[in-house]
Amino acid sequence: MRDEMLSSILSELNGTSADIEASAIISIDGLMIAAMLPQGMDEDRVGAMSAAMLSLGDRTSDELGSGELEQVLIKGDTGFVLMIHAGKDAVVTVLAKPKAKLGLIFLDVKRAAENIEQIL
Amino acid sequence: MSNFKIVFSGPVGAGKTTAIASISDFAPVSTNENASDMTRERKPQTTVALDYGVMKLDGREKIHLYGTPGQERFNFMWDILTSGGLGLVLLLDNTRKDPLKDMTFFIDSFRDYISQTALAVGITQTDIASVPRLDIYNKKLREMKISAAVFEVDARKQADVSLLVQSLLFTIDPGLEY
Repeated sequence: MRDEMLSSILSELNGTSADIEASAIISIDGLMIAAMLPQGMDEDRVGAMSAAMLSLGDRTSDELGSGELEQVLIKGDTGFVLMIHAGKDAVVTVLAKPKAKLGLIFLDVKRAAENIEQIL
Repeated sequence: MSNFKIVFSGPVGAGKTTAIASISDFAPVSTNENASDMTRERKPQTTVALDYGVMKLDGREKIHLYGTPGQERFNFMWDILTSGGLGLVLLLDNTRKDPLKDMTFFIDSFRDYISQTALAVGITQTDIASVPRLDIYNKKLREMKISAAVFEVDARKQADVSLLVQSLLFTIDPGLEY
């Protein structure tokens, strides 16, 4: 039941924008809770990297005086990776196209993260 | 002032985070997060990115200490953290099911790095599980054709961890003064 609800949040999220290519919910220690990833992408890898990045982001934001972490954004030349806390025990990771309208994606992912937090 | 970087690795719960906290001159940077995997049976939190601390020797040498996560899913961090390092401190938890297998696994995972640098092995939790004893570890290392000092250490004790680090540094540079 819970898994289905989480999967439906992800499929809704992937559907809100053609720019969102993949999304996943990951526990704070790097294990996949639910995912809609392209075939061939290693879930364990995505999970562990998300946990490591978010945790470093938390520490950096705190130590460098930027306050509580809201998101980690990674920009590559062929796309974005966005990570946002969904409550204190999970992360939402989203892969988006390089031309994506980030403002809209931030909003959609933040809303999804709030819904996920309620379910977890 | 010279700078050295050494890396602490080993399986979950071996005491990497604790060891770095024991010898660091300032409060270490750590990335402890609540565990949801098997780790939870051993401890509530686990390292997901890195630990970082600094130990100063005689005011001139600065040893930068980096700890890796223990779970294999974080092995990309192992590559990242070993870059530019001068040696590996491998911590093994004697209460785990097969600590010799853990040692073989980690030495194989870090083989390229170890072959270019140096290795020191610390066995933790020996107060709870006294076997395997050090000679068994030494024998296994000889079989693997790896030269490394092996100590029993209590990761919470500054003197123990410091000795382990110093033995590693001595392997790297016998001229180093403490």
